Amino acid sequence: MIWSAAQVQPSAWMLAIQKSGYRAMPANDVFASERRRVETRKALWRWLVAGLCMMQVMMYAYPAYTAHPGDLTAEMERLLRWASWVLSLPVMLFSCGPFFGNALRDLRRGTVSMDLPVAIGIAITFVVSSFGTFDPGGVFGRAVYFDSLTMFVFFLLTGRWLELRLRDRTAGSLEALMNRLPESLERLNAQGLYERVATRRLLVGDLVRVHPGEAFAADGLVEQGETLVDEALLTGESHALRRGPGSTVVAGSHNLSSTVLMRVQALGEQTRFAQIVALMQSASTTKPGSAALADRLARPFLIGVLLAAGLSCLWWWQTDPERALMVAVAVLVVTCPCALSLATPAAMLAAAGNLARGGIMVRNLQALEALSAVDTVVFDKTGTLTQEAMVIGHAEARAGTSLAEAMQMAASLAAHSLHPVSRALLAASRLEAYAETAWTCDAVTEFAGQGLEGRAERGAEPVLLRLGSARFCGVTRDPSNMLRVYLSDAKGWLATFELREAVRAQAAQTVAALLQAGVQVHLLSGDDDASVRRVAAQVGIELVQGACSPAEKLAVMRNLQSQGRKVAMVGDGLNDGPVLAGAHVSFAFGQAVPLAQAQSDFVVPGGQLMAVVHALQLSRKTMSVVRQNLWWALLYNAACVPLAIVGMLPAWLAGLGMACSSLVVVANALRLTASAHIPKGR
Amino acid sequence: MDILYLLIPLSVVLVFCILVGLWWAIDRGQFEDIEREGERILKDS
Repeated sequence: MIWSAAQVQPSAWMLAIQKSGYRAMPANDVFASERRRVETRKALWRWLVAGLCMMQVMMYAYPAYTAHPGDLTAEMERLLRWASWVLSLPVMLFSCGPFFGNALRDLRRGTVSMDLPVAIGIAITFVVSSFGTFDPGGVFGRAVYFDSLTMFVFFLLTGRWLELRLRDRTAGSLEALMNRLPESLERLNAQGLYERVATRRLLVGDLVRVHPGEAFAADGLVEQGETLVDEALLTGESHALRRGPGSTVVAGSHNLSSTVLMRVQALGEQTRFAQIVALMQSASTTKPGSAALADRLARPFLIGVLLAAGLSCLWWWQTDPERALMVAVAVLVVTCPCALSLATPAAMLAAAGNLARGGIMVRNLQALEALSAVDTVVFDKTGTLTQEAMVIGHAEARAGTSLAEAMQMAASLAAHSLHPVSRALLAASRLEAYAETAWTCDAVTEFAGQGLEGRAERGAEPVLLRLGSARFCGVTRDPSNMLRVYLSDAKGWLATFELREAVRAQAAQTVAALLQAGVQVHLLSGDDDASVRRVAAQVGIELVQGACSPAEKLAVMRNLQSQGRKVAMVGDGLNDGPVLAGAHVSFAFGQAVPLAQAQSDFVVPGGQLMAVVHALQLSRKTMSVVRQNLWWALLYNAACVPLAIVGMLPAWLAGLGMACSSLVVVANALRLTASAHIPKGR
Repeated sequence: MDILYLLIPLSVVLVFCILVGLWWAIDRGQFEDIEREGERILKDS
């Protein structure tokens, strides 16, 4: 829809559309996802064309390799070549489009990426083969390389297609997040009626009505109504949270159960959601880039090849001008950078496949290269090194009451609540150390943010129990920053339970393995310093910083990066989002907030910390395979170019060499698929 | 073996026919969501 703002207001034509019986919807992300879908389909189509034509061309090439002299009549050979040429045409004109497009872009910008030598190589090979087909007596000789050519294109496109699919998944999830906010919502107007307005027309202080199933468009206070909200996007808390009058709701969270009235407090850029998204976007755009190893090789390679071809042409020109052009072309054909351009993607895709089987999703293949250079790993604490659930540590009870009995009384109350502390108590009461006849509890009421009250009984007289904060239970708080929960009855204090974070089973093992691999390990957390240090001591991390805001975390990491360190970040929360986006490499854990996942290079759904070590080791192995592959490609060229220059390389050997160098590279990469065992964590 | 002079051009034509078929399938989005047809029975609309 295009309109002239001077002549008509959007509301006017919106009304006109409505009158004619249609609904107008803002087309927000429709275009982006539509474009991506078209791109994906085209890539798949390119790949299939190359694949099918390759198979058929190989069938036509087969007799030429196996026939005894005289078996294949000259006419039949020409027919087979023509057929190969016809089927190579779609591969060249359509499937190779991206290579030629990128090469052209390179030429315009004056840069050299791997696509330029590839495009030159396939173009020259195809031209030479075409001459060989239609003009066998001509200056280019009668050699054809359609089979090696189509196979090489098919291999390259396979790598690109898999890479595109990985990237698509990431882009799609991020886009979905950005579009969480509703386009319009119901606002109370001056006449006391609700009217639907566009979200951007909202002002701070407006009263809006949010129905179940809708997302909150702004940060605000609930004025009326009580509902359950889903804040998983922001906090990672997987269960619904209760929000009543006076409590705050955040933009981007979903209203689940009933209609509420909300007073808008912060809008657009000011919402917590938007601030963190903005911080993440700016962090990811300033992410330190690393030029791919193969692209760095592309320029010297191209120059070397062109020089070799030019010099050999000059050299032959003096003795045998007729052969000079042919030799130059032979050099260019034989150096077609098949192995060179396949070296990196083949190894990385093999490694990504291996990691996926071990429960690690790779979202960005380049990250494997970056990970191999990592010398610093930064961990977040909550949810990463520790489990989300808490456990009961030290407990005390009033004289005359056994610990086990106090625990059972507390658990009978806790059974009525879903609060994390209640769940921890309930889990502890099932332990053997606290085995005791269970209590039952009724008439339980939950006071949000304070505690629980209920009547507990076990055969005898029921007692009124309170479980919760010190003030709620009417006892004095112990001077300590440990998280404690108290139990009291009519006579006052009954028991105290201390809560601890449970360190993940593999945490210490992981840190030790990382240190052994020569990696510096840091711990950055938003929690208070004391509890962060306690966890750090438990798992063996020496470099610790607590009480960091998301911006401070980012600053600490930038500081590390400015010292020349390559940093990997392991986190799960929204607070880690900016750091995850800004780090060289990032890992998000499975329970992680979707926003944090969308910005990570690796996602570990199972929550096994050892996965970090496994990925690090595999990435180092991957890069060594990539280096072997590159060496192989260079050696192959070093061996073949002199042969081509002296004119001793027959066409069939050149074609075979091209095919074999590609196959060797792919086979070497496949060694990475041998999977290593990752110990399963609880 | 004269039949080969017919069969080889025919195979080229056949490849193009298969490619057209694949294009049709891709264009209709048949490779994008492979689970869709299986899940369709579970959906109301």
